[in-house]
Amino acid sequence: MSSEARQFGDLATQLVQEARRSTLTDTLLKYNDTLVRSIVREQRQLDTLITQTLAQDVTFTGSNPAALLYQTAIQRNKRCLLAYHSHRTDRLRDMYWAVGGALPHLLANTDIRAKLAPHEVDYLREYNASIIEFRSDFTAELDIAASITHPPKDLHVLVRVVRDCGAIQTEVGSIDFRYGQRYMVRRADIEHLIVQGYLQEV
Amino acid sequence: MAERDHALLESEDALLQSASPLANGLGVTDTPLQQLIRQWQNERYAPEILAGHEAALNVLLDHIRRQSDTIQHLRNDPGSSEDEHFRIMLAQTEIERVKFVVRSYIRTRLHKIEQHARLIVDTPGLQGRLSQTELNHAQRRFAKLTETYFHMSVLQALPEDQRGLDDDAAFVPPMIPEPNRSHSVFVHAREDCPPVPLPDSNFLTMRKGLIVLTPYSVIEPLLADGSIELV
Repeated sequence: MSSEARQFGDLATQLVQEARRSTLTDTLLKYNDTLVRSIVREQRQLDTLITQTLAQDVTFTGSNPAALLYQTAIQRNKRCLLAYHSHRTDRLRDMYWAVGGALPHLLANTDIRAKLAPHEVDYLREYNASIIEFRSDFTAELDIAASITHPPKDLHVLVRVVRDCGAIQTEVGSIDFRYGQRYMVRRADIEHLIVQGYLQEV
Repeated sequence: MAERDHALLESEDALLQSASPLANGLGVTDTPLQQLIRQWQNERYAPEILAGHEAALNVLLDHIRRQSDTIQHLRNDPGSSEDEHFRIMLAQTEIERVKFVVRSYIRTRLHKIEQHARLIVDTPGLQGRLSQTELNHAQRRFAKLTETYFHMSVLQALPEDQRGLDDDAAFVPPMIPEPNRSHSVFVHAREDCPPVPLPDSNFLTMRKGLIVLTPYSVIEPLLADGSIELV
């Protein structure tokens, strides 16, 4: 897009469209740092314009069409920026819950990691800390981060190991899960491993 | 020891079916589990956060803990017969299913709280609906976390006077979103209900057993006193 044909707010529209596309396709897109920065620049530019306009308007009576125009653009840009970021955090939280709150597992995925901005990683860490605190109130009874997509029908489940994951404590003692093996185990013991992709239900 | 445990499992079984019935004001008594399931359903369909059901929740949590302990005892007891092992398995499965409902209920509420953290922090009236744990999460942690994040990622780069998070500009939606209370819900009347006003100044009177589709705001008071449920 050439700069002369651009209106105030065009960039913000792009940003919101990107968020929309991400929602519709249900994928996490890369954090668009360049676009966010350009919009922030536009905001500063608009701010200077307003100050200038008002400085020139010596007989200011409370309404100045030019300043109003700039002000509206500022408002809109800001809301678009915030909408984009709040869309991002919503997505990140969804992803966090989808892996049962296993943050290290999420961050170890290089594909996902590459799409996150540094402050988004910080956000996830902080969020994780607050959820751990929330969870600690229920640990005696149940793990609230376990799956809530399907109600359990069976106590046990037959699983196939698709990735080595070392020794895991289960109700019948410790099991060393190795690639290719099959086990009949208690669902509650290994559900997090299914979610994280180490085991597969057969 | 073992004898006592076996007896315990039995009595706990009975408990699960009709544990310490709490009167719900309708003259009918429900078990805490039934209450929680209804509450869970309501919570999942209602657009806003409902008053928490801590009493039933705590009874159930205690119950899950006790039941799990008993089962652990019995499993480690070599004297348990084949028949008892079968019963243990049934009890375990039942616990897992109860846990699922409890978990889903807690998570549904958590999700709503996070969606409306700012609103909850700013509205003391809403805070009474939350348990202490939930309130801590909303007030002390989540709202602050979101604010810090917005500040780090966007606001700090903007000129000083654009950094507010509660601007009240004309013709734009408010910055603190409110739940959509005109959202339509399916309502099942659990008893004959007093008439409630509809938006068009007519009245809606529901007989017991009736199912209607109506805006949430219309039936909100009925939901609070438990004479209807969302389906």
